[in-house]
Amino acid sequence: MLAYIDPGTGSLVLQMIAGGVAAAAVTAKLYWRRVKRVFRPRRAEDEGTLS
Amino acid sequence: MHEGAPTADVDSGSFRDPDSRVVRSDGRIFRVLSERGAAEWRTFAASPLFGELVEEGKLIATRETDGLDLGLTGLPSAVDGVLEHDVVPFVSYPYEWTFGMLRDAALLQLELVRRSVEAGLMLKDSSPYNVQFMGARPVFVDVGSFEPLREGEPWAGYRQFCMLFLYPLMLQAWKDVAFQPRLRGAIDGITPAECRNLLSARDLFRRGVLTDVVLHNRLERRYAESTRDVKSELKSAGFRKELIVANVGRLERLVSRLRPPRSHSTWSGYGLTTTYSEEDAERKRRFVDDVVRSESPALVWDVGANEGRHARDAAESASYVVAMDADAVVVDRLYGELAAERTENVLPLVVNVVDPSPGLGWRGLERKPLAERGRPDLTICLALVHHVSISGNVPVAAFLDWLRELGGAVVVEFPTPDDPMVARLLARKREHDHPDYRRDWFEQCLAERFDVLDSLELGGGTRILYRARPR
Repeated sequence: MLAYIDPGTGSLVLQMIAGGVAAAAVTAKLYWRRVKRVFRPRRAEDEGTLS
Repeated sequence: MHEGAPTADVDSGSFRDPDSRVVRSDGRIFRVLSERGAAEWRTFAASPLFGELVEEGKLIATRETDGLDLGLTGLPSAVDGVLEHDVVPFVSYPYEWTFGMLRDAALLQLELVRRSVEAGLMLKDSSPYNVQFMGARPVFVDVGSFEPLREGEPWAGYRQFCMLFLYPLMLQAWKDVAFQPRLRGAIDGITPAECRNLLSARDLFRRGVLTDVVLHNRLERRYAESTRDVKSELKSAGFRKELIVANVGRLERLVSRLRPPRSHSTWSGYGLTTTYSEEDAERKRRFVDDVVRSESPALVWDVGANEGRHARDAAESASYVVAMDADAVVVDRLYGELAAERTENVLPLVVNVVDPSPGLGWRGLERKPLAERGRPDLTICLALVHHVSISGNVPVAAFLDWLRELGGAVVVEFPTPDDPMVARLLARKREHDHPDYRRDWFEQCLAERFDVLDSLELGGGTRILYRARPR
């Protein structure tokens, strides 16, 4: 690493782990959106028949 | 040095980054860049981010000079570019800031990292000493910190961010441990191990503690003796800049939720419980206003500013006012008000006048003592001398010596021993502990050092205001 301050080896590894958790959260969010999408079209149809 | 050129001095606090050094010359601030530093600057200056940050007031305004020769000698590498910065009216350090100031500086630092990464840039470091305040507005001053992003590398400044921003804020918010003495005591801040040791079991459930403190400390210990090339390992494992952005976003949420532990202190209600009658308060205000207007000072120090009423008044005629008080809770409240009003010429600072900031760091020159950062043209000392003399045990003559050394005019208030506040302080002492705390002695000492131009008696003669100029 080209840095004039000591970035700390442990501190670098931590960022991978902490970033990994964030990355996992992003994956989970994407997955949750897919689940929601399965239900969304049907709700739209229901509303359409009511009006 | 060239014949006739103004003296140019490399700032004694600017040596850690070899590619970018701050130089003072004739009241102007320059930044001298090495070949690598100049290349990094030109990349940054060409990006839209630079203009945006200056426009938003988040980065100090900076221009590249046209081949200016400062006549510097003794630099190890050739000078490839000279920048000129706008001048910060009064330099301050994190150990003089309030909780809100350090938190706002932390949020600015994080925002700059996030926006830099998104623009293909990065910040080399993460030091609160790179942030200054223009009144109550935090501004990033180290243009030399920006460099092109190297894909696959983590944020080198993360550890420094924790040690100088995050841990000090956490310890203050959760443990009511003031960060100012710790940052003043260690120029690199609080280590992960120290922070871990200061937190208790219940703190483990607080946001960020497991990751940024406990795990961080463990990994630091585990890798302390390691010779592994972690950088390459991370790169091949697929470290991406998105992970930096995610990490910074997480820290932004964490920091913005930290709150100061207390909103009350000894002096936080002083403005309401003052012993003055309304009429006397108004006469005092007019006296001080008249002095400020007739002195028309560039720089005012209000020492013992409390809630900042007189500092704000002074700022209407003076160019810049530094409002100092030892009570961090009171100063933080003032900062909050000034920040909400976007005031840019009143700088609130936590300063204990009987224990002011010394020179610190390498050779005691890296961080300058308070007075060396700008001597006041006018010093306001209201309801202060009895605390310095009776609580702080500083002789009245020594206090006036200090005032005289500052070099400017003064407005100073002397509450006599009959004043209820003074009587309360004296009641805690033995009789004759303060033989010099007398009106006649104060006036004699003042007249030996200053020309007294005017005075005003308040509170039936128990408080006297003096206006004086150095002899």
